[in-house]
Amino acid sequence: MAMLTCKEVLANLSNYIDEEGSAELRRALEDHISWCRRCRVVFDTTEKAVKIVLDVEPFEVPLAVSARLYTRLEEVLSES
Amino acid sequence: MNEYAKVPDAGGEDDLALIDLVMAGDRRAFEPLVRKHERRVFRVALAVLGNVEDAEEAMQDAFIKAYRHLDQFRGESRFTTWLTRIAVNEALQKRQARKDSVSLDEAPDVESKSLPGRFEPWTSNPEKLYGKQEIRQIVEGAIQALPPIYRETLVLRDIEEMSAEEAAEALGITIPALKSRLLRARLLLRESLGSHFEEPRPLPTRILDSAKRLRNMMKVMAGTAGR
Repeated sequence: MAMLTCKEVLANLSNYIDEEGSAELRRALEDHISWCRRCRVVFDTTEKAVKIVLDVEPFEVPLAVSARLYTRLEEVLSES
Repeated sequence: MNEYAKVPDAGGEDDLALIDLVMAGDRRAFEPLVRKHERRVFRVALAVLGNVEDAEEAMQDAFIKAYRHLDQFRGESRFTTWLTRIAVNEALQKRQARKDSVSLDEAPDVESKSLPGRFEPWTSNPEKLYGKQEIRQIVEGAIQALPPIYRETLVLRDIEEMSAEEAAEALGITIPALKSRLLRARLLLRESLGSHFEEPRPLPTRILDSAKRLRNMMKVMAGTAGR
């Protein structure tokens, strides 16, 4: 595969993180980031950003919001 | 907690069993379905709308709509996907009705802003810099600051961990469109988290930078002094 430009590398960043794309494309991306510091940093930090987001503790529905949902559902479920 | 609520569920089979019960006339079987999915539905509504009050209303409307149209769920996709799609639609309608709403495609400058502008590596241990609660606040803030179309994409893919196909279906867009939004969303998020997670730069680099700045300043001063 021909050498990739930084722009092409960036365009494929997300797919790379999701482990998509051909083996050949992945090799070409890895080759590029082995010598291009900027793209390497962008790859590495984007992967870290996605991981940080994923690792954040699960979000809870506020109790009052949840309580009001069940009250409204109760009305609907008891309609004849 | 009631008798339906504790069953483990890997592929959504329990959802199907509960749906069958509701369809057979056991209305109470709808409640455990809601319990199981309320967190996701609320999260998604909040991602689309950006505030808790509107998200609450959209969540209620989405569950009621799902209940009233349960017979239209055919099981071609997972119940989660079907329900998420309803939640997204409810939230989008609400967003469009809102007076202050910014239309979907009006995201000026996002193209250029999402090009990487920070090139410093990040720390490998964010936990060493911040407590869990703090990290959660930083991440929440960064997500809320994303333009809506990127926020909803990121929430479905990277928080709710839907596949690209499921997320595209839920948002009613094509898979290539979803992937392109996801790339932008992740780059924007990276930019905004960067200020919190970049490694402090080593002293020699900082000294060199200061020296450069000083030299430039002196050049400018020399230039103006000559006038």
